[in-house]
Amino acid sequence: MSKATDELIARLSADVPKVAPGAVARRLALGLGLGGVVSTALMLVWLGPRPDLAQALSTPMFWMKFGYAAITGLILAALLGRLARPGARAGVLAGLAAAPFAVVAAMALARFALAPPQAQHDLLMGHTSMICPWRIATIGLPLLAGAVWAVRGLAPTRLVLAGLVAGGCAGAVGAAVYGFACDETSAPFLAIWYTLGMALVAALGAAAGTRLLRWR
Amino acid sequence: MLAGLAGEAEPYRRLLDELSRLLRAFYGRRCPPGLDAEDLVQETLIAVHSRRATYDPGQPFTAWAYAIARYKLIDALRRARLHLRAPAEEADALFSALDAAGGAEAAMAARDLERVMAVLPARTRDLIRETKIDGLSTREAAQRHGMTESAVKVAIHRGLKSLGGQYGGSDVEGD
Repeated sequence: MSKATDELIARLSADVPKVAPGAVARRLALGLGLGGVVSTALMLVWLGPRPDLAQALSTPMFWMKFGYAAITGLILAALLGRLARPGARAGVLAGLAAAPFAVVAAMALARFALAPPQAQHDLLMGHTSMICPWRIATIGLPLLAGAVWAVRGLAPTRLVLAGLVAGGCAGAVGAAVYGFACDETSAPFLAIWYTLGMALVAALGAAAGTRLLRWR
Repeated sequence: MLAGLAGEAEPYRRLLDELSRLLRAFYGRRCPPGLDAEDLVQETLIAVHSRRATYDPGQPFTAWAYAIARYKLIDALRRARLHLRAPAEEADALFSALDAAGGAEAAMAARDLERVMAVLPARTRDLIRETKIDGLSTREAAQRHGMTESAVKVAIHRGLKSLGGQYGGSDVEGD
């Protein structure tokens, strides 16, 4: 019908290099991996690992903290992989993404309700509540950059949502990294301040999504 | 598409061919005035080609391709809205571009301009031409046509605005 379009099709199909399967997952892994290396370096240089890390590694609370952030990050990374493909459905992953938050919130509520009243304030506020979310957000930034790089090279079609999930994923992995520097151990603290740190990066991702993730 | 991912040229060409027909129908129905449907078809074909790694073989091909087509339409609208925000100023800019440009470019712009202005009433057309191109002041134009100065200004403004409305998309006036 249109000559220019026919010529374009001829040109495009003249050179069709093979595409290896798994290209989307590889690109996301590369972006988040490189971002994670920078984030970890930032955590080590800026804050340093907590001094009692060796003992902490044998406590369940350390792994609960790490697990919360890491599992959230993994689920959101999988969801991000969907959002980077045109026409793919989020499906069960969208519901699954809420699960870690629900589990930690339930644990936090139980811990808080069972604690003696004089201990409740400390459970909630710890001693770093005012700086913890900001540190998580800062450590999450290189991860967000990595995620944005990966996703904009793919084909997101819902940019704000993709930005939100990219930010949430970066925030969650950032929180997992920050867990090695932070000695807070209460579930209520985790449920509020860690989650808030992740939410900061997610909000940034959503706000910048349309601008950062646009592709042509 | 599977053949395309595997690097086979001929089936891939047939696929793009077929897709271009689907896309033409898709944009034919949805493309607003001011955007070129065939441009969108081509942009989408390029995107389908360059982003084909994001196609999941377990997924219906058309769902994937139409999602890209929709994205391209939204992206084009976003861009169009950005530079058509002020249609009257746009028309003004067209006139000053005509002033500034020389030679072939000016001739082309002049031809475009004649065609564009053909929709206006004859007197408005004259007024715009005299004030914006021949360089008459509003007062001189008013004297020449036996109008008041403010009537001239209103006529010119209305003329430019209706040009803007016609070429700047339908969302300019009314809502």
